[in-house]
Amino acid sequence: MSRIEVKKPSLCTNEPFSTESVSRSLSVLSEIVKSCYGRSGRLKQLHNGMGGYVCTTSQSCVLLGGLSVTHPVLKLLTASVQNHKSRFSDCGLFTAILCCSLVENFRRLNLVSCTVIKISKHLLSLCTDYLKSEACGCRISVDFNSTKTLLCLVRSILTSKPACMLNKKEADYISTLILKAFLLTIPHNVETNVALGKCIIVPVKDKRVADSNLFPGLLIEIPEFEFPKFPVKRVSSSTIKMALFCISMSGDFLGAREGTVMVKHGVSLDSAILDQLLNLSKQMVNDGVGLVVCQKVIHPALKQYLKEQRVITVDRVGIAMMEPLSQMTGSQPIASLHSLSSSCYGSLKDLRTETFASKEFLHLIPHDTLVCSLILCNRNETAWGELKLACETAEHVLLLTVKQPLALLGGGCTETHLASYIRHKSFDMCSSTFKDLCCSPAEYQIVSDAFCCSVESVACCLEHDGGEILIDRHYGHFWSVESGFPSDSDWSNLVLKCGCGICNNQQNLNWCVLQRQCGRFAPKSCYNETCVNSKDDLVLDCFTAKYNGLQVAVETANLILEVSCIIEDQN
Amino acid sequence: MAPTVPVQLGRLVQEAEALAGAIRGSLGPQGGQVLLTRPTGEILLTRDGRRLLEALRLEPPTARMMIACVSMHCSVTGDGAKTFIILLSSLLRGLQAIVDKKEGSPFFENIQSRERNKNKCYRLKQISQFLMMFQARILDHIMAQYLRKHLLSVFSSYEAEIRKDTMESLLEAYFCGKIGGNNQKFLSQLSCEFFYKAVTSKNSRDEMLNLVDEYFAELHTTVTGLPVSSSRILEGLVLHRDFVVYCPANGDRRVLIVTEPICPVFSISGTAFVVNAESQYQASEIWITKRTEAVMKYLQNNNVKVLLSSVKQHEMVNYYARKSGISVVECLSTEEISLLCKITGISPVRPSWDNIHSEITETAIVKFCQTLLVGSRRYVHICLTRTCAFQPHNVILCGPVHGVTEQHASAFHGAFKMLQQLFKVVDLNTICTQTDLQKSSKICNEAATESTSAIMVPDQVNTSKDCLNEGNPIVSFKSENYRNNVQCCSNFIIQAGSVLPVGGNFEILLHYYLCHYAKQCKLPQIAAVSTVIADALLSIPELLYRTKQGNSFPRVYHKAISAIRTKQQLPTNQKGLESVSCKYQLVASVLQCAAKLLTIDMVIGIKRPLPKTEQCHPEDD
Repeated sequence: MSRIEVKKPSLCTNEPFSTESVSRSLSVLSEIVKSCYGRSGRLKQLHNGMGGYVCTTSQSCVLLGGLSVTHPVLKLLTASVQNHKSRFSDCGLFTAILCCSLVENFRRLNLVSCTVIKISKHLLSLCTDYLKSEACGCRISVDFNSTKTLLCLVRSILTSKPACMLNKKEADYISTLILKAFLLTIPHNVETNVALGKCIIVPVKDKRVADSNLFPGLLIEIPEFEFPKFPVKRVSSSTIKMALFCISMSGDFLGAREGTVMVKHGVSLDSAILDQLLNLSKQMVNDGVGLVVCQKVIHPALKQYLKEQRVITVDRVGIAMMEPLSQMTGSQPIASLHSLSSSCYGSLKDLRTETFASKEFLHLIPHDTLVCSLILCNRNETAWGELKLACETAEHVLLLTVKQPLALLGGGCTETHLASYIRHKSFDMCSSTFKDLCCSPAEYQIVSDAFCCSVESVACCLEHDGGEILIDRHYGHFWSVESGFPSDSDWSNLVLKCGCGICNNQQNLNWCVLQRQCGRFAPKSCYNETCVNSKDDLVLDCFTAKYNGLQVAVETANLILEVSCIIEDQN
Repeated sequence: MAPTVPVQLGRLVQEAEALAGAIRGSLGPQGGQVLLTRPTGEILLTRDGRRLLEALRLEPPTARMMIACVSMHCSVTGDGAKTFIILLSSLLRGLQAIVDKKEGSPFFENIQSRERNKNKCYRLKQISQFLMMFQARILDHIMAQYLRKHLLSVFSSYEAEIRKDTMESLLEAYFCGKIGGNNQKFLSQLSCEFFYKAVTSKNSRDEMLNLVDEYFAELHTTVTGLPVSSSRILEGLVLHRDFVVYCPANGDRRVLIVTEPICPVFSISGTAFVVNAESQYQASEIWITKRTEAVMKYLQNNNVKVLLSSVKQHEMVNYYARKSGISVVECLSTEEISLLCKITGISPVRPSWDNIHSEITETAIVKFCQTLLVGSRRYVHICLTRTCAFQPHNVILCGPVHGVTEQHASAFHGAFKMLQQLFKVVDLNTICTQTDLQKSSKICNEAATESTSAIMVPDQVNTSKDCLNEGNPIVSFKSENYRNNVQCCSNFIIQAGSVLPVGGNFEILLHYYLCHYAKQCKLPQIAAVSTVIADALLSIPELLYRTKQGNSFPRVYHKAISAIRTKQQLPTNQKGLESVSCKYQLVASVLQCAAKLLTIDMVIGIKRPLPKTEQCHPEDD
């Protein structure tokens, strides 16, 4: 019996921005993301109020994934941020904050939305052209001869996630581990097809962060009763032969596709298959194999036989481990129980057992380290989850940096610098630009001001403790001072160093309060090799991620402004 | 007894106007986007009228019928949903005015004897017949005779070449109504690039457009999280799967397509494999292994380096493929397989492999075959030597959210549908079918006898005699040999590649000539219908020119009409172009839809689903 469900008609809202509900929910979201931003950002606790898992976080992916936004406009915004995050892992909050403040600022302008969109697109192209150009004063090129900049990059990521609960020493330690792990995954001999290895994070909770450690090779957790109690069979002192299987070794029947298989009475297929498996094992033993790893299940009888022959067996490693295993050992996953060619075997340098926080691991040490295992510890479940995400972000950022060896100044300096540059640049636009954009110079100026304010407001979000934010009129960097000083005081006594850490108060930089009486100026580039290399506590951001985040934020804001009607399906 | 509701014209007008109201905001180049939410919670941005109307999920059956007509029209032309509804609503409004008029209406005949409701139904039915007749007879005639001289052609010369800037202005005008203002230019350039890259020669253009239309899902890839400006066109095909086995290879590389498992099995359907002894079973298993190995060796010897399979292959196959240096892609969709076959001209190999010593003929040469990392997904990027009219290319559409990439993909697809229509010839044979003629023969006869002389207008002097006879079916109808005339007709209503500048030019022209026709037509019913249609057409440019700055329509209209009168080029300040054949089909579909709506007199609510006619087999009961 088929049933027809009556569909409810959809709910149609014209001109959604004239209603109060959008701006209200937008400002709530904007407050949430703004308060999370930066190293002194406030943490958010997510829980369902019904005894579910409580999670403490300040990261955009956890936050936006956990929030259930109902308004379609906000859904668009959060989906956009999450998609960015899934591509680049970093700068999610930056994108969210920028997008929110762009929408809020543009909405106040009272201009026709298509004019605003055209102008903001033009402003975005000014930004991207500047960031891409050699003359850009807020980016530095990454020097791979020293680990200093890379380390700064990783450390900036870890310290910008306060929910990881790391102190400075721990942050330094974990940053070093992450960078080491990343360097281990780069192959030694570079051919045309470079394939990076993998860093596998092994969770150990309820231990101190300082107990985290990095192992070259692979750590496979095995139950205690399967722990090998005999020395491994070696081909030579530094070579262990291993076989890797990607099919089940439990004695499954290969099967008939559509037809039937009839078995005569007295014939046991199980024993036939087991016979075959034993033959296979005999061949492996004869070939001198010391370790057998199987993606799926190994038959207990086979395990017993191999154990008697002093061959170590590991089964159920799962599909995720297959690629690193075959990459690291050079073995080809075997999918046949009949013919074994010696070219399929791989080799290991050594095999050890490790015990770590009451867990037993088999440590596979390869000749060429392409794979490494990072034992990551943190005090509790939620802090560990946050740290793991931060580590993955850092790893991804390092990869992006290798592809495009640039980094942006962090700590708000890029935002203030870029905003000053756009302010300066948009002031003297030639009249043909206005004609192309079909707008008046006044309209252009208004939109450009709103755009710059939005970019600066991202930097402002770094200050959560009521302090004052300054900008210098020389480099256009970000400086923060404690609150409670008159605006005409001598700022050089109060500031220490700028947000990214490149400039200090020694130079007389002509400070002023951000977004107040600053005027227009062309920000200069303060970057030179010596200055960057001499400092090892810079705050840096991933170039690729921020560059994309900027574009996505502006594009999404434009999309939202363009919405003239909402149709909600209520089924 | 199920409830029955009589259909009233007033209600139809209300429904059509409500629909028009819903889409009015997104009409024209200045129109805004509409944010849709689906029941699954997904969001979608759209300016596509069809999507919008379908998303409304309306209840009234007549409104649903209107939307069904729109969808039908759009699936053919890829455009015009919004214009459709606006035209329909003003047409119905106009018709209502005629029906309600008591005195002097041509449809108000001496039938007082019947009761009122039936009388009204009769009038509606009559109007519907006239609409059908108008669509079948008069519209073509006006298109062919009057409008044709205003039409421009996209071809720059007689050799049917299209200049790139013409193409761009055509596509830009199309995307203006389909996607957000930010990316119109970019996407029209991208689709233009795709067109020129994919087309191999002007003779195979139609074939290429048909292929792109049919296989668009396989020819585009969407990526979220990247700005729209990262969209690009890639040479070759992108298969939306990752390699199961990837072995980079050089030299002579061939590809083989299979649709069945390569690995032999114990028994196929309908047969049984009897195991008599354990050793027999073991021997069979060994044979299967050896056989698979031999087949893969055989493929290797034939230089097959890529194996494309529509089914999942056994792990053993992958194992031996890796050993023989053959890359394997499995689980390809049937569409992907058929696209691959069309491009390369090869057919899938049935792996019976009775003779594994002869040469394999069904292989194609691979130019390159590599992994493509799009966003965070890994796809197979393959370029094959083609044997068909389509130079394989794939368009990668990026956007911050899925809702945007989907909108762009459907607009991109629609653009190629529009081009497909553009290059089609609309000719009399396809339009007037025999049944149409017979249906309206009675009315036509009357019309013909009354208005033969009136239809002759001085404008026709410059058109050829052929065209005169052909283009005016009412005249030719009288002669006995009209049948031959229609069949031997070589005269087109609209030639392939006809365009007009955007901004309501088509509507104003058609309006002018319909009014002109109505004045001369002796038959009052036809005259009345033409006037209503003519006025309804104006509602589109009227809406287009109504912006926040004010309404510039009267000025534009006045200018255009005086230009037509003095036989000058129509004034235009926009450089976009639109396909006339799409517009023509739109008017025809609207007339059909209106005619269909007017013939319904009652809606009956029933309690159970209607049985589908094709599923009604007597055995099932």
